Amino acid sequence: MALDAYADASDDALLVLYGNGDPVAAELLTRRLAPRILGFAARLLGGDRAEAEDVTQEAMLRLWKIAPDWRTGEAKVSTWLFRVVSNLCTDRLRKRRTVDIDAIEEPEDDTPAAVDRMIQADRAAALQAALSSLPERQRIAVTLRHIEGETNPDIAQIMDISVEAVESLTARGKRALAQALAGQREELGYGKD
Amino acid sequence: MAKTDKNMLDDHELEAFFNAARNDTATPSDALMAAILDDAATEQAGRDASPSSLKDKSLVQGKDRRQRRGFWADLRASMGGWPALAGMATATIAGVWIGFVSPAQLEAMSGGLVLSGDYSTSAQTYVLEDFAPSYLGTDVFMEDEG
Repeated sequence: MALDAYADASDDALLVLYGNGDPVAAELLTRRLAPRILGFAARLLGGDRAEAEDVTQEAMLRLWKIAPDWRTGEAKVSTWLFRVVSNLCTDRLRKRRTVDIDAIEEPEDDTPAAVDRMIQADRAAALQAALSSLPERQRIAVTLRHIEGETNPDIAQIMDISVEAVESLTARGKRALAQALAGQREELGYGKD
Repeated sequence: MAKTDKNMLDDHELEAFFNAARNDTATPSDALMAAILDDAATEQAGRDASPSSLKDKSLVQGKDRRQRRGFWADLRASMGGWPALAGMATATIAGVWIGFVSPAQLEAMSGGLVLSGDYSTSAQTYVLEDFAPSYLGTDVFMEDEG
């Protein structure tokens, strides 16, 4: 099957193939990239899934549009997409300005049957709530560095700032998160560790 | 290592939160995947239908540029481009300058003929021998010898 044939191709190569009219490349690129940027967008948007889906579709549309002019080797496709998503989310956040932390789902009460899984889910939800309370740029930098696993130079490119500025933003962001989450140490399972 | 601050998680504890977030992956809905692929197909089809889908864009743009070139650009090109025009412009300015300033050296070299000379009397200023002394003035020398 054609999808298998392209399995080892880089994002860069797939985008060029798409730009040249290849019908399969788009599907593979979407499967690879859409989940990542959807997750990233959802984190930046305070967990708003519907809005994150809108942003994902818009970002991918921009990728399809730029495909014929894409210059291989200049930037990673994922880096380019993270940048577009950051900008789209920042625009949307500016429009609503205040992030309603109450709108984020509260962790459900745990049941004895699946405590571990619940703890994981609760931690993820608590982190999401804490992330939402961070200033925008700290939130973007911390999410890219510690959740998406991007390197500092890539983050610098995505955010259009220096590597030193990235280090400063992530350090301040992490510190703020560590403080915000300290109060939930016991209820999130650390009492049992 | 002892916890140094009750009001702050240490790196290890915070990492557990990040880890939980990394495992909490988002799965795009089928509707979203379909919409994205639909956009991709529409974009691709749109490009194929338009002339800009030609692979060699530089050729298309080059052709457009030639078609847009106007009369002056054609004239300039026929003279040899900007370098040739620069030479012509220098010569023109030099001519105008000579006309206005009337440099004395030029006067001396031309014997007053070129710029301020009285053209109606030039025949009296110069006799024919001045221009061809070797043929017409030999009798003078012969007379002296004789």
